[in-house]
Amino acid sequence: MNHSGSATFNGLELRALSRRVGSHTLVDQLSLQVAPGEILALLGPSGCGKSSTLRLIAGLDSASSGEIRLGGRSITGLPPAERQVAMVFQSYALFPHLSVERNLSLGMELRGVARAEIKRELDQVLTLMQLDGLRQRKPAELSGGQRQRMALARALIRRPALFLLDEPMSNLDAQLRDNLRAELRTLLRSTGVPVVYVTHDQHEAMGLADRIAVLREGRLQQLGTAETLYRDPANRFVARFLGSPSINLIERGNEQLGLRPERLELVEAGSPVPQGWEALEGQLSHREWLGDRVISHLTCPGHGNLKVLSNTPTSGEALQVRWRKADALRFEARSGERLPGSRPDQPS
Amino acid sequence: MRWRLWLLMAPALALLLAIFAAPFLHYLWLSTQAQSVLTGLNPEPIGAQQWLRLWNDSRFWQDTWQTLRFSATSVSLEMLLGLAVALLLDQPLRGRGVLRTISLLPWALPTTVMALGWRWIFNDPYGPINRLLAGLGLPAIPSLSNPAITWMATVGADTWKTTPFVALLLLAGLQTIPADLYEAAALEGATPWQTLRRITLPLLTPYLLIALLFRLAQALGVFDLIQVLTGGGPAGSTESLALYAYLNAMRFLDFGYSATLLLGSFAILLLLCGTAALVWRWGSRLLGELR
Amino acid sequence: MARLLLLLWSLGPMLWQLYSSLRPSAALSGTGAGGWTLEHYRQLLQGDPPFLTYLLNSAVVGICSTALTLALAVPCAYALTRIGRRQARSLTLLVATAAGFPAVLLFLALLELARDWHLANQLLALSLPYAGLCLPLAILLLQAAFADIPIELEEAALIEGMGLWQRLRWVLLPLMAPAMASSALLVFLFSWNEYPIALTWLSRTDLLTLAPAMARIAGSSVFTIPYGAFAAATVLGSAPLILLMLLFQKQIISGLTQGAMKG
Repeated sequence: MNHSGSATFNGLELRALSRRVGSHTLVDQLSLQVAPGEILALLGPSGCGKSSTLRLIAGLDSASSGEIRLGGRSITGLPPAERQVAMVFQSYALFPHLSVERNLSLGMELRGVARAEIKRELDQVLTLMQLDGLRQRKPAELSGGQRQRMALARALIRRPALFLLDEPMSNLDAQLRDNLRAELRTLLRSTGVPVVYVTHDQHEAMGLADRIAVLREGRLQQLGTAETLYRDPANRFVARFLGSPSINLIERGNEQLGLRPERLELVEAGSPVPQGWEALEGQLSHREWLGDRVISHLTCPGHGNLKVLSNTPTSGEALQVRWRKADALRFEARSGERLPGSRPDQPS
Repeated sequence: MRWRLWLLMAPALALLLAIFAAPFLHYLWLSTQAQSVLTGLNPEPIGAQQWLRLWNDSRFWQDTWQTLRFSATSVSLEMLLGLAVALLLDQPLRGRGVLRTISLLPWALPTTVMALGWRWIFNDPYGPINRLLAGLGLPAIPSLSNPAITWMATVGADTWKTTPFVALLLLAGLQTIPADLYEAAALEGATPWQTLRRITLPLLTPYLLIALLFRLAQALGVFDLIQVLTGGGPAGSTESLALYAYLNAMRFLDFGYSATLLLGSFAILLLLCGTAALVWRWGSRLLGELR
Repeated sequence: MARLLLLLWSLGPMLWQLYSSLRPSAALSGTGAGGWTLEHYRQLLQGDPPFLTYLLNSAVVGICSTALTLALAVPCAYALTRIGRRQARSLTLLVATAAGFPAVLLFLALLELARDWHLANQLLALSLPYAGLCLPLAILLLQAAFADIPIELEEAALIEGMGLWQRLRWVLLPLMAPAMASSALLVFLFSWNEYPIALTWLSRTDLLTLAPAMARIAGSSVFTIPYGAFAAATVLGSAPLILLMLLFQKQIISGLTQGAMKG
């Protein structure tokens, strides 16, 4: 997706956004754009600045420098209420002493919205989120999934110009998570506004978002679709973060080669290496059998351990692992920056 | 945004300063003045003379001794009894809630109200105590008219009232001790005494300290009980520092000296509580090393 | 066994008062026959001023002090939880030390305050020093309760567009109700029982609160053995508090417990 850098960009735009607390830089010169109706995931390990960025966009914390623009106007100095933002917190932050209905309508009541309109909006959102029969219940009486829907309902009813979510799926058990992911995606896209959410889970990022921004120590590492980030990572960090099992790295002079486990083949030890391929000899240390696939762990002398994803378990302890030269990603050993030259785009 | 928070705190802090800090500044000034009937109730600066007078005032030192004696005895008793009651209430017994409320009633009643009651209970010869003794053929105890033992009556009345408070405090502490510690001890075959010494008391230490300091500070300022129960008598044997300061102000109308006495009492309070806290710290550290 | 002892020890003196108050003076001094009488109560209730006046005065002061204390303590406690860690800690420590202070030492300065500002013999004015003395404990309790509320609730309210007063009114204070109830009760209890300041600020008999009234009764005995009347006064004076304790035991106890833990 290409975006123009014009000042009339209609979605969310961060320009060199930074936040410093004391000597610690939480967010470092972050710039990105999210188009209306687009879902962006902020992905990274804990402490990478993704939650800080979200809080900056919401207006809960103030930026040290940089600008935040929404719908063509700057919202950097505005308090949260005036930003027309809706946020779903990780813990949902539902008002425990109010009913489902009141939780949703309180904001509108205090803004002086007419009672008839409040009722209309309530009915609409409650039906949409399948909470209609639970109107009078208190949050404590709801299940985890229902509470998530309630938090989403509260955000939706605001008809915001921007949707923010903090680890939206982390409070749900794994089974629920998989089932709800598609529903959530459809719902978020239907709002037609920019959506930004924070997660540390690559699957959640890849399954839910249109584009992913990988953050590390407050700095943007790479921004792009899941596929781009996976096949064409900008640096070693991004390559390692995405992909399960994670990418193999072996030393090659002052370079490192990144080898995706699914790009590797296992053959008999000592087999002749075809043209355009490279190989290493190694010993099988153990196998992980996962049902639909097998992860074989190999110890290659001088190169450490390698993981190979293969559907066909090969027999024997001494094996050769080989890959197409073109499939290997090259990184500069010290900085981890990606070196040009290889760009694997053939699926296996 | 910050300044708005301070604005929220301002009224409360202002009142706190007015009630707690301002008086001491006032006393400091007043203690260097003579303000009494002799000066026509106008303050006249006399430097440190009030303090000299304090130093040479045998009644002051007598009262200090009496107040210390009262406090030390009362607080010790309250801590011991309070601990016992807390341990009792910590057990999961039937009617524990009711018992806890009832045991707290003595603390809830105004001191002056019950002091009146105590006067009757200790009365010689018509109070219940002495009537019981008489019925058993034992000599009566002139609790309120014998200078040697009246102070013990005041200690008794004070202990009755404040033990439940200590007990409640310690009970709160007891309930923070995880049950599995006791279970582990039981598995190892520890006796109740050992459990008390090794587990309960060490973990209860912060609460014990707070209860101690709190009660000590309150006891050193004892006023209500003494004034109503004994009036400081007989023969001034139960007079406390606070009462003496009060008399100087309200009866002798010697405000300068009263302020001096109040400051002196406060100094003693600080000294004692500070010492108690330090001794406790060192003592518990020492015990920890010995084990 | 031990429980029974505790029960007796706690209730004994009060039960004795009840018993004494219902016995005629003659019986108490052992000179007359037994029997029961309500004479002592009648004397008190029809006295000049009637005993109930004192109870009423105490109630008025109590309610006023409670309202004032809460009005000052709630915003202060809220601010303490929202201000930085370091600053809050030192302030809290100061407040905590003030909580244990024997108020009687302040009587002289407060007396002069009453004189200079013509606050003497004014019931409502008493609530000023009472509120001041109760503020430390109230602030500690309320601050602990505020801290227990997850900050995300307030942030969600903030994003919904609620201003400070709206957040307090609709989100924070409803969740603080139990803590506020506990604080209110403890303040009421304190002001009901307070003696030295009431003693020095009030001299008119009909304005006396309960504590100084009792002391005055103690001091002015026309009878040789007025203990029947004393006992009746004790019973009447204790009754409201006992009632309060029984009705609100949970709140009072949790308030004290919280105060202990945060100390």
